[in-house]
Amino acid sequence: MDAQLQNSGIEYVKVSKWFGTMQVLKDIDLTVSHGERVVICGPSGSGKSTLIRCANRLEEHQEGTIRVNGIELDGRRASTEAVRRQVGMVFQSFNLYPHLTILDNCTIAQRWVKGISRAEAEERAMHYLERVRIPDQARKYPGQLSGGQQQRVAIARSLCMAPDIMLFDEPTSALDPELVREVLDTMTELANEGMTMVCVTHEMGFARQVADRVIFMDRGQIVESAAPEEFFQNPQQERTRLFLSQILH
Amino acid sequence: MIDWAYIIDALPALFRGLGTTIMVSVLAVAFSLLIGLAGCILRLSNIPMAGRIVAAYVEFVRGTPFLVQVFFIFYGLPDLGLTLSIFWSGVLALTIWASVFHIESFRAGFTSVGRNMSDASASLGLKSWQHGLFVIIPIALRSALPSTLNTVVGTIKNSAYLQAIGLAELTYVAIGKVASDFRTVEMFAAICLIYLVIVLGVSALGHALEKRLDEPYRQR
Repeated sequence: MDAQLQNSGIEYVKVSKWFGTMQVLKDIDLTVSHGERVVICGPSGSGKSTLIRCANRLEEHQEGTIRVNGIELDGRRASTEAVRRQVGMVFQSFNLYPHLTILDNCTIAQRWVKGISRAEAEERAMHYLERVRIPDQARKYPGQLSGGQQQRVAIARSLCMAPDIMLFDEPTSALDPELVREVLDTMTELANEGMTMVCVTHEMGFARQVADRVIFMDRGQIVESAAPEEFFQNPQQERTRLFLSQILH
Repeated sequence: MIDWAYIIDALPALFRGLGTTIMVSVLAVAFSLLIGLAGCILRLSNIPMAGRIVAAYVEFVRGTPFLVQVFFIFYGLPDLGLTLSIFWSGVLALTIWASVFHIESFRAGFTSVGRNMSDASASLGLKSWQHGLFVIIPIALRSALPSTLNTVVGTIKNSAYLQAIGLAELTYVAIGKVASDFRTVEMFAAICLIYLVIVLGVSALGHALEKRLDEPYRQR
């Protein structure tokens, strides 16, 4: 492995974070290596969303060190911008721009962040919209699409920026049950292509199928971290067993 | 009976007054929108004290009668060393009055945009000015538009108060005519109708813009 690859991925070292007086992340140590697919699960309020939102500095950590592809998130604008150029993110509520067409949603950042020409940005956008199988919706607005379609657009919009790492923050939690499959399929394809992925989700089928590692968080701490078979067949911690018994019925 | 011939005779003078009304209103609307936008940005900014100063400005202007503000600017400011012509006193008074309502409408619009959009922009790498210009303003404009339109219409109608400092706008001309000819019903009915036509025209423009900004949100 060359030096570049060794440095790539996300590295949390003794990371702590507080909201006011409440500590939401406690001394987190976690390394996500290049090409790895990590699923994070845990009860609500356990800090899992906060943890991944720290990786592109949507949230600031107060103690410890976070490095993304070797760049330390130290609060300087330059390092935050450098990290955000390499990390894409998909949100629970899609967060598409409601006033822009699907195509414009996919081109705005390409044009203003990367300085790509409109024609080239649109070509790229159509390429990714085809990959998530909704090129025919390109001229519509987000409000005219189903939730599953909107989330696939959000994935395409992120991919247009050619990220190295993709973060998913409960990408299927806001979807009607019958729309979950299409989004998970898109994510599975992405995983099979070798994208580095960190995914907060309760879709345990997806975790089994795709993840290299499953992490269980509770009260701001990583309680358990194991390969999927190990994690589901033989969880070591009582809290993990309790959680799994509640969500796998 | 209404004397139509009298009204028609008076029209050229009324239209000259209307010209002044329109000029003073257009300038005040333009300036107040700019100040409204700037004030709203300061109000919501992290700059120390800026938010409070803007909030105090809004409370002060909103809490005092418009006619008193007009008199203060025209009769009071010269004593403080700032003498403006009647016309520019009028523009200034209307601008200040309208700006506080624009600040509040824009603030409602801006805060309706919410965290999700800034998360999306940040994760995509857009800078905050790009997020403001391409995301916040277009989305906020849509929700702020109805109340902004109210203020614009109010600005036009409030220009009538400026007759009190002798600005020869529409109402001033009409009052002058009434004083010499005593055709009260004719004159006031005529200028009501003229104001109404202007305001309806502005409303129609506003509703067209509203319809256009609503386009992305319509189901089809």
